[in-house]
Amino acid sequence: MLEAIQFSSFSEFIHMGGYGFKIWSVYGLFAIFIAANLLLPMRKRKQILREQKRRLTINDEISRNI
Amino acid sequence: MWLWFSKLGSPKWFYELSGRWLPWLIAAMTIFITVGVIWGLLYLPPDYQQGYTSRILIVHVAVAGTSLAFFPLMAVAGVITMVWRMKLADMVAKMAAPIGAWFSFLTLATGSIWGSISWGTWWEWTDARLVTMLFQLFLLLGVISLRSALEDQDKAAKACALLSIVGLINVVVIKYSVEWWNVLHQVASPVSLSADSPNGPQFWIAIAIMIVAMYLFLSVSLILATRNEILQRERRSQWVQDLVRQS
Repeated sequence: MLEAIQFSSFSEFIHMGGYGFKIWSVYGLFAIFIAANLLLPMRKRKQILREQKRRLTINDEISRNI
Repeated sequence: MWLWFSKLGSPKWFYELSGRWLPWLIAAMTIFITVGVIWGLLYLPPDYQQGYTSRILIVHVAVAGTSLAFFPLMAVAGVITMVWRMKLADMVAKMAAPIGAWFSFLTLATGSIWGSISWGTWWEWTDARLVTMLFQLFLLLGVISLRSALEDQDKAAKACALLSIVGLINVVVIKYSVEWWNVLHQVASPVSLSADSPNGPQFWIAIAIMIVAMYLFLSVSLILATRNEILQRERRSQWVQDLVRQS
């Protein structure tokens, strides 16, 4: 497993044959793309639930007071 | 068949079923993305011609291939909405557009970075593959802005279904652009797992893992977004109100 790794040192891994910056940029964009499409809908779900819960509680109180 | 169809069209049924599937899908997605990225970054041997830049390709090819699934999906969903008036299909079509735009953007960005190394240019207006992919991104942005511009949901659904048909035709043009026109973008290399294939079996296995990972990611992100849309559009129904009260 370990001997199949294509790099012998960490700096070689970062450098990637001279294209390090471009290759790491691609993987960085990829990470943002994955994170954004998972975290944004999860955050939105919390917002929706909070907002609707608030609305329901207000409605409940109004109907109780009538 | 028809009973199954109308059940599937019910937002409540979809919400409950997808809730049960999500943990498994997320687990599978995490495994495939992790294995694909680690394989790509640590184990993929430098290509015989491209050296380490083949690492860009495994991301680019998987994302680009998956980005072509959006317009067929939205076109089918659009037809189902028009013909059978299925609300769920329209919600899926609506939520798919922004995710498709992300996929198309990443395809262009990673392709551009790869091109800057291999072709010596970031962009080429005369290349049909590049231009049609940019057109797909604009079409998806068009679908998104149509949705937000048209108040009437019926009208919005119809307009977007129409644009999706245009997008569907464009997908066919994207697919065959490298064969129809003589362009900078190369045709797909022959897939081969034999040890003496030019790109090496390692490269194809990495691409296969990433493609599965991207389809799983597409499913997870689309399901998450569609569940949000269901909660909003069905907020007056009893089951959503019960769910909100328990949250």
